[in-house]
Amino acid sequence: MSSLAFLRALPGVLPALRGNLLIGLTLAVVTLPQAIAFSTTLAGLPPHFGIYAAIWGVLFTALLNPSRVFSGGPNTTMSAAIGVILLPVAPQFGADYIGYAMTLILIAGMIQMLFVIIRPLGRMLDLINEPIINGLICGIGLFLIFKSLTGFAGLPINTQVEWPLWIAWQSFMAVLEIGNLYAIEIGLITLITSLVARQIRALRNWAILIGVAAGTAYSEYLNATVGLQNTMIEQIANLSSVGFVLPSLPLFNQEAMSDIISILPGAVTLALLGLFQTVAAMRRMNRKIGSYTDSRKGIFADAVSNCLLPFLSSLPTCASFNRMWLVYSLGGQSRWTSAISALILLLMVLFLAPLIAIIPMPAMAAVIMLLGANMINWEDIKPHFRNRGETVVFLASFLSVVFLDLFGAVVVGSVLAIGYSKWEQAHPKISLRGNVLKIRGNVYYASLPVIESMYHTAIEREGSVVIDFSECYYIDQEGIRWLAAAKAGQKVAFADRRKSDDRRELERRAAADQKRKSGRRRGRTDRRQRSQF
Amino acid sequence: MEAKSVSAVPAKLMKIALIVGALCGLYLMALSSHAERDQLRKASVDLTPNCKAKLEGYGLVAAEHYRSPYVQAVNGVDSTVRGYSEQDVRSIQRGCNIVDDLQGQLAKRGARERWNADRFVRGTYTTCIHCHQSGGDKHDTAGKPVSGSNNLGASWVMADMYDRFSGLIMSHELRQMQCYINASNGFKPNSADDLIRDVTAYSRFLSAALDQKMGQRYAEQGLDEIPFSATRRRGDDYVRGAHVYREKCANCHGPQALGMVVQGKVLYPALAGPQSFTMDSRMYFGTLNSLMPGFICRNMPLGAEGSLDNQDCRDIAYYLGTLPRPAGDRQGPLVAAWQQVMMGVMPPLTRYAESLGRNHTEHPGD
Repeated sequence: MSSLAFLRALPGVLPALRGNLLIGLTLAVVTLPQAIAFSTTLAGLPPHFGIYAAIWGVLFTALLNPSRVFSGGPNTTMSAAIGVILLPVAPQFGADYIGYAMTLILIAGMIQMLFVIIRPLGRMLDLINEPIINGLICGIGLFLIFKSLTGFAGLPINTQVEWPLWIAWQSFMAVLEIGNLYAIEIGLITLITSLVARQIRALRNWAILIGVAAGTAYSEYLNATVGLQNTMIEQIANLSSVGFVLPSLPLFNQEAMSDIISILPGAVTLALLGLFQTVAAMRRMNRKIGSYTDSRKGIFADAVSNCLLPFLSSLPTCASFNRMWLVYSLGGQSRWTSAISALILLLMVLFLAPLIAIIPMPAMAAVIMLLGANMINWEDIKPHFRNRGETVVFLASFLSVVFLDLFGAVVVGSVLAIGYSKWEQAHPKISLRGNVLKIRGNVYYASLPVIESMYHTAIEREGSVVIDFSECYYIDQEGIRWLAAAKAGQKVAFADRRKSDDRRELERRAAADQKRKSGRRRGRTDRRQRSQF
Repeated sequence: MEAKSVSAVPAKLMKIALIVGALCGLYLMALSSHAERDQLRKASVDLTPNCKAKLEGYGLVAAEHYRSPYVQAVNGVDSTVRGYSEQDVRSIQRGCNIVDDLQGQLAKRGARERWNADRFVRGTYTTCIHCHQSGGDKHDTAGKPVSGSNNLGASWVMADMYDRFSGLIMSHELRQMQCYINASNGFKPNSADDLIRDVTAYSRFLSAALDQKMGQRYAEQGLDEIPFSATRRRGDDYVRGAHVYREKCANCHGPQALGMVVQGKVLYPALAGPQSFTMDSRMYFGTLNSLMPGFICRNMPLGAEGSLDNQDCRDIAYYLGTLPRPAGDRQGPLVAAWQQVMMGVMPPLTRYAESLGRNHTEHPGD
């Protein structure tokens, strides 16, 4: 009976499945080159780490997060953070490095789990506002462009962190002076093809893949004509390890302990960078599509996934607003879209591994440059410059990424978030019209000095004051004590908290009530008088 | 709507043209820079006087085989190794020039002939020979390499070996990068840069000229550490150090260790003050310091090397470590700010204190 019901539902399911298949294919095509680039160019890990994040990371987050459009997977910032944190610890792509990377991701996942278990801690993430997130994202976008300069020109990656701007300038000069010209040509062809393809609406979602294909085709042409031994172009190569799953274990042993302790601040950074992005992306998506999914669900999905992924040779995962928006704008309405994209990706990797293996590294560096440039979006930044407070917060957040390391930037971002929200709360809008002192905002211990200063000015000028706190959001105990003390001074009256219409209605009713009462009283008096006579 | 889409097409084309134009412009810049480098690589090299003497002495010429006159003279045997091409010889010559005159003060085309090495170091007087004396190949009066003299050939034969100070297996390129970062508070060149490659070629040639074998540890490699156990065990004392410094070192390096510069040429390097970028290379009293005493004992004073005893060297190194100089990358902003203040305050204070001391000496009865 039930199987018959299933068969009856098939005609309705099939078109939806076909739609999801198409969107899943597009998502897989968008994610694949990014995933490989993230692991090889940014995180310093073999390509299968990015691919598994695009398969298992996407699948886990799709299953764990109830949002219809949530899409996790490998992330630029988190991958870059892994590269930056681990570069001083061990040589990239080596066995030790991979072990430390898995340990780092696991610790980050466990830290994220704390944000699920300790509810107020998770709630703190809501303090991270858009100027801070956008400042961090723009700074990291700029960093990604600088970071990929050496890979773009086929130069060795220097073994210390390429963070300060001055070193980025040195890398740029190195590209011009000693870069491998073949590598630069491949990178430029990838960049130009992707950028041109993006201008054509029909190709927009496939732009990066088209760029990588063009770069790879040119690289193969060079190999055929000049020879790999002369071009010296590094390729992704060796995807033999990529199968359905590749188990791995994080590195935890006595010898590694001092290094593991040294990467703990990095693990906090990694955890927070993931959570910041997930919460911000979910909030932004909720607003865009007019629905609501609690961002704690996203935190939970990230935390559980990141605790599991290190055992599956995968990069960490967090939400990507761009991918979520892509899914939504293509009409993806269920979590199946992400799950299908993961499965398509797995099939692509299993069957197209020989093609992926010949992708040249300069093409991957060009992909990272494009993604870095995409992160600096003027339309997202512009609104912050309309408000002085937001401008300061945005710039401070942006500059902290450019001039400090990632950990410093996250610390500055968190302090700014709390500082900004407290500053806003502590500065209510106070206006004085005639003797009416109107307070819009909070009356609490931090805002009282601001309010009191205005209140005393008003008392000196007007002699008496009417305090209108009809637009107060919150009054704490100290605020109540101050209001009581002010009222006791005989020079203060409080305006009614209700709106004027309500107040007029209330006054009309009170007058009618008064009239009725006085009428009743008059009647009683008449009766009393009559009885006396 | 249609008019809007029609007007959007030229704008889009313009955008594409701009992007392509900018990227092609960068490519043309790269082509031009590469052509300039190629030209420099092919150009004949004007050797500095020291390099001319050294390389001629070692018989460097382009040939199929290389026979070191030094090995022949010292060991009395004829050691023949594979020779050098014209290109190799130019690379070795440039490498020697870089070590001898990093900032190109003796070059016709200045820093360009030294692959713009001045970009990667701080200050205008920083150069390799302050630590790698005699072009990284210092010999004693008997013609033997000086023990603990930072010999570059001996360093090359230990390439890809465990580095006991950083705890890493380091290639010769990485070892050079450490010099830029630690000994000059500078920035590291890319390991594929000609700057690194030429010095590597020169170091490799030195090892052939001195018959140093790969993987062997030679006494002239690096510095000899002087641990506390090798002293008179009186403890390091910067007051004693200041006294010995004034006696043995101040003549060349100046009373406040600010160095000696004559007509823009550094005769003796600054050991403290604004031109001494050595805080990250153990010139800081907060760092456990057994290396700097080793350098002093084996290489100083010039012409009278080995005349100081171990305790004197430890005291001098401790004294020098207390003098102000620009902070390195490891010390952080607070130390950097403090050092900047001290560099302004200490010289006049020291001069004043010394003048008091002089008056006191001149008029003991006062």
